Amino acid sequence: MNFQNLSIKRKLLLITMVTSSVALVLLSASFLIYDLNSFRHFLSDDLTTQAEVISYNSAPAMAFNDTAAATDDLSALKAKPDIVAAVLYDRQGKVFAQYVRANVAQPALPHDVPQTNGSRFRGNFLEVSYDVALKGEPLGTLFLQSDMSQWSARARSYAVFLLLFMLASAFLALLIASRLQGVISRPILRLEDTMRVVSAKQNYEVRALKFYDDEIGRLIDGFNTMLAEIQQRDAALQGANDELKMRTQELEGEVANRKKTQEELLTAKRAAEDASRAKSAFLANMSHELRTPLNAIIGYSEMIEEEIQDTGQIQNIQDVQKIESAGKHLLALINDVLDLSKIEAGKMGLHLENFDVATMIQEMVATLQPAIAKNSNTLQLRLADDLGSMRSDVTKVRQILSNLLSNACKFTDHGAISMDAERVVNGDHQWIRFRVGDTGIGISEEQQDKLFKEFAQADVSIARKYGGTGLGLAISSRFAQLMGGQISVESEPGKGSVFTVYVPAQVSAEAAAANNVKPPKEVKAPEPEPKPQAETILVIDDDPAVRDLMSRFLGKLGFHVVAAGDGEEGFRLAKRIRPVIITLDVVMPVLDGWDVLKRLKADPELVDIPVIMVTIVDNEVAALKLGASNYLVKPVDRDRLAELVEKYRGSHAKNPQPVGVGASRAADEKSKLNTTWDDRSRRN
Amino acid sequence: MPITILLVEDNEMNRDMLTRRLERKGYRVIAAHDGGQGHDLAHSENPDLILMDMSLPVMNGWEVTKLLKSDPATRHIPIIALTAHALATDRAKAIEAGCDDYDTKPVDFNRLQEKINSFVLEKRPS
Repeated sequence: MNFQNLSIKRKLLLITMVTSSVALVLLSASFLIYDLNSFRHFLSDDLTTQAEVISYNSAPAMAFNDTAAATDDLSALKAKPDIVAAVLYDRQGKVFAQYVRANVAQPALPHDVPQTNGSRFRGNFLEVSYDVALKGEPLGTLFLQSDMSQWSARARSYAVFLLLFMLASAFLALLIASRLQGVISRPILRLEDTMRVVSAKQNYEVRALKFYDDEIGRLIDGFNTMLAEIQQRDAALQGANDELKMRTQELEGEVANRKKTQEELLTAKRAAEDASRAKSAFLANMSHELRTPLNAIIGYSEMIEEEIQDTGQIQNIQDVQKIESAGKHLLALINDVLDLSKIEAGKMGLHLENFDVATMIQEMVATLQPAIAKNSNTLQLRLADDLGSMRSDVTKVRQILSNLLSNACKFTDHGAISMDAERVVNGDHQWIRFRVGDTGIGISEEQQDKLFKEFAQADVSIARKYGGTGLGLAISSRFAQLMGGQISVESEPGKGSVFTVYVPAQVSAEAAAANNVKPPKEVKAPEPEPKPQAETILVIDDDPAVRDLMSRFLGKLGFHVVAAGDGEEGFRLAKRIRPVIITLDVVMPVLDGWDVLKRLKADPELVDIPVIMVTIVDNEVAALKLGASNYLVKPVDRDRLAELVEKYRGSHAKNPQPVGVGASRAADEKSKLNTTWDDRSRRN
Repeated sequence: MPITILLVEDNEMNRDMLTRRLERKGYRVIAAHDGGQGHDLAHSENPDLILMDMSLPVMNGWEVTKLLKSDPATRHIPIIALTAHALATDRAKAIEAGCDDYDTKPVDFNRLQEKINSFVLEKRPS
């Protein structure tokens, strides 16, 4: 195992042990070396002393050349077990006597006799040479050789002792170190434990235990501070998280609430729609159920009236007329209620077309003539020269004016009724302003406020005296608003009333919706009207009766009429005579109206000629898609046909044609026709 | 030769009233009280014009009109729808079924007479 990866406890122990052991070994070694060295000196000195003693003792023997005595002297060395050999050399260097230890066979003696005094170490031996002299006279040299076994034994026992001592002290050091290392390692190990707990359990609440105020203590302090910081952040984060969760829940609640509200709204809307449908169905049924008996009441009373007139029993006629009038009043009421319900349901649509204002007024006035005459009133009609034509819903405009005039007639006796119409320009907007004035009973201010509300006739007694449903003004006002206009009233009780109606000269769907009326003031200078001229109309229809009827009617309007009996002929004629307008039947043999229309619109020379479809087949969308300009369903509404052809005649005025019939005559004829055809479109 | 009108009407009072009024004006009136009878009489009597109520028993006015207008034998007979349904959609429905004209009840007798005349006289060379 690598030292670096050892635990800090082991490391500390190991470091302590190694350090103390090294110190101990060095100390012991130096001590050993010193001691062995001094022991060698001691050995050397001791051997030298012995040599001095032996040489002193042997000197007489040498002086007397007594070898035996010398040898005897030398053998005393037996007591010294470490002396290997002793040799006495004479002056010539020859061996005089010698001693060799008993167990040594052949001593390793030096070859030449050492001359000088002194000791020396040679191999494993200590050797000493000493001069032998008697009374200052040199006799020879003594040589001693020791094998140092004493030194070796000492060194060995020393080493053993030192080893034991070292082991003992190492054990002691280990004991102490293992006790003391805890001072450093324990706080660190505890810190490590704490960290493990923190990281394993994500528990930032635990704190590391601090032991001492040393570096480790400061480290633990730092760690604890960090923990506290983390805990604080963690708490803040948790708080934010909790808040987020709460907000999310709140938001979810809000969403759920909204959804619920939405569903409730939807349910309410459906309920309202159902109720509205039920109301419409109820009204339709009511209308139907009331009309059937009314039909009988009015029909029988009319019939009886006729019979009375035939038989001359005039005295009963007024009673029958009362029944009839009551029946008609009831019918008017039903129609008005139906109208109002249609307006309220948003089902009252606008059928916009161009029509001449003056003509419309004159026709309407003509039908009201009996009502005007009834109370001996006079009517003054003032139509501005620049009235021209307007684009609007003619039926509704007519109904408004007719209602106002009827009211004026009804509430005025022997008085003057006036009807004014003029074109008013206000900025970009052009208006047609109608004014109906009378010198009748007038309306008080508080009555004026309720005047245009449903079922709010100015006075209940009025209904009894003058009749009327009380819905006429409400409907008129709604109609005017529907077209983007308005009705207002000025009146003084006893003196009379003036009703003013503003209708845009060009009603459009947007204008009707916006309903922004600004009282205009400026009056525009009159514009010269283009003079209508006789132009050619091509009538394509396989029914000769229709061809004849159309030819007569259009001829009266001042057109030159060319008729074709089938599609093929019609197309050929169109190419040749280039009519200003084409009227086209749909159901025809061979080539039907759709095919003719397609061919006409595919021909670049004929594409611009307006085509009016005249048919019993109700498919206006298809016709307009194929390029038809207008679509009339048979039986033809002559009013509308007249207006349409007048419109297209105007757009082709630059194309002069021989004048057949004057414009004024055409208008006369038209108004005659209109008196007959007027009412037919009223209720449809 | 008087103009023959087939009146198809289930309400007895209205049938009686209209029949009498028309007859007073010199028309010959054949009356039918339901759609089926109206259809049969249109074939057998070949009237100049038919006044057709729309809400009828057995077969309603729209069905009868469709049948008559799809049959070459009766296609030429003008049919004026007479109904107490006064909404614009009713008119469209009648025209769609093939009616030549449409009027609401209670009828304006003068207007009705004009319509009848215009249809019949247009057809007949005067």
